[in-house]
Amino acid sequence: MSTPRIIGELDASFAWNGTSIYRAGELAAGTPIPFNLRGAITSYVGSNTGEWRVLRDPLGLNKLFWGESCGTVHLSARPHRLVAEGFGIDDIRSVPRGCVLDHRLGESGARKASILPPQWQVAVSSIDAAPIVEIGAEIRSSLERYLAAIAAAHPTARAFVCCSGGLDSSGIVALVTRHFTDVVAVSFDLSRPGATVSQDRRMAERLCNDLSLPLLDVTVSPEHLLEHLDTVLVEGIDWRDFNVHAGLVNAVLAEAIADAHASQTIIFTGDLANEFLADYHEESYLGESYYQLPRLPLDELRAALVQGLDTSNREVGVFGAWGLPVVQPYAVAIDSYLRLPSSFFGLRDAKQQLCRSIFGELVPSFIYDRPKVRAQIGDADAGGGVLAACIDHGINQDWLRERFARLHRARDPRELNRFMRAGRYRSAVPTAEEVTL
Amino acid sequence: MTHDEIAERLEAFIRTRYSISANDPGFTRDVDLFDLGYVDSIGLVELLTFINASFEVEIKDDDLLSDEFSNIHGMAKIVCRQGEW
Repeated sequence: MSTPRIIGELDASFAWNGTSIYRAGELAAGTPIPFNLRGAITSYVGSNTGEWRVLRDPLGLNKLFWGESCGTVHLSARPHRLVAEGFGIDDIRSVPRGCVLDHRLGESGARKASILPPQWQVAVSSIDAAPIVEIGAEIRSSLERYLAAIAAAHPTARAFVCCSGGLDSSGIVALVTRHFTDVVAVSFDLSRPGATVSQDRRMAERLCNDLSLPLLDVTVSPEHLLEHLDTVLVEGIDWRDFNVHAGLVNAVLAEAIADAHASQTIIFTGDLANEFLADYHEESYLGESYYQLPRLPLDELRAALVQGLDTSNREVGVFGAWGLPVVQPYAVAIDSYLRLPSSFFGLRDAKQQLCRSIFGELVPSFIYDRPKVRAQIGDADAGGGVLAACIDHGINQDWLRERFARLHRARDPRELNRFMRAGRYRSAVPTAEEVTL
Repeated sequence: MTHDEIAERLEAFIRTRYSISANDPGFTRDVDLFDLGYVDSIGLVELLTFINASFEVEIKDDDLLSDEFSNIHGMAKIVCRQGEW
């Protein structure tokens, strides 16, 4: 098997072994398979002897696609780069999440292994539950150790933390300040005629005041926001409205952070906790329902949301478009979250209870007391947010799908039905000969 | 369980879950459920859960994204194959 060709850069890696951040050499072909790897990574490590390893993290946070031409596998973090090389969208496959491929000296094929834990693929009912306080302490420990490891690997980095003023992001803001000395919170708001300052912004300001942190305010018009649609579609690798809308928020945050000109920057977000707690709800605007969820029992819904992370690139991809590396710290705590029983995360105050056991008094009480607000919705008082901005401009689900198809040179949007279904990309292992390790 | 029995159960689930009229002339076991909009991405997640619970079959990604999995007959074939019915 010939050496794969890499098209464009792969996304920044923050893969963790429970103690430190992996360095490239630790993941070279022939080294032990990292079954306990957590965090985000896509990695290609080659050597001048012709050995190589391709690896993708088990949650599928970092993306990796491939196409094959004349016996050579072409790998890229984005399908549009493969399209630019002449591949059709129908010819492109995703490397499965958790896939490890080793090509060793003297062997014709590549060896395949999976670091995807089998227990992540089943609903919670078959996993042993544990007391909430115990799980909260575990999550806190994982988050602290992961952030410490990142700080050790990047001691001079300026940390920008996306802050919606909600519990998940506020907890990350508070923890990041314990490990980094140069921390800036970042808050999004949409300026619409007649709208007041959003509740998100007010909460972010109050939190930063409490923690004595600088806050980078990013307030944009709907027109400015929508200028980033194409970037969000190709870098986010998705046309579904809930991911595109969140990606638009991230795009304007990324633009503002990139303008801050820090020499080394790392972005932190509070993403993923909602998936791990199945804490999403439908939204409505002008009588229509949006962001509909599968009608499933909570444990099944959570399993679907976790699996669906494989097709969500609204953080890594969108910030990456501005050259900004992103860390989603909750990723490393997934094993603890999966021990939460659905009888718990179905409670109205599950998020508050769990966050109290994770963050305690690190997070001020006014954050715990605040009702949940979805960042791309805005708030009940100020009117619609990104969702409304898109719909008001005629940018609905069909528009997004057609635009995504056009940007990827699909002849017909229906071709996308074979590219992604049910939150999964069409995936395959890029090798003709496989030996399972 | 035979192919026809599986197809029958799949059809009944899809008709009920997605409110497809018994008089819909366009709906058959050969029609592309996704291209014609009978089942969307969210609905497919529900359908996969139904298949898993009813036939104890986990649909592999290769099959899920295949042309075969786009209609009821094809889905029944895949379930038969994976479930060794």
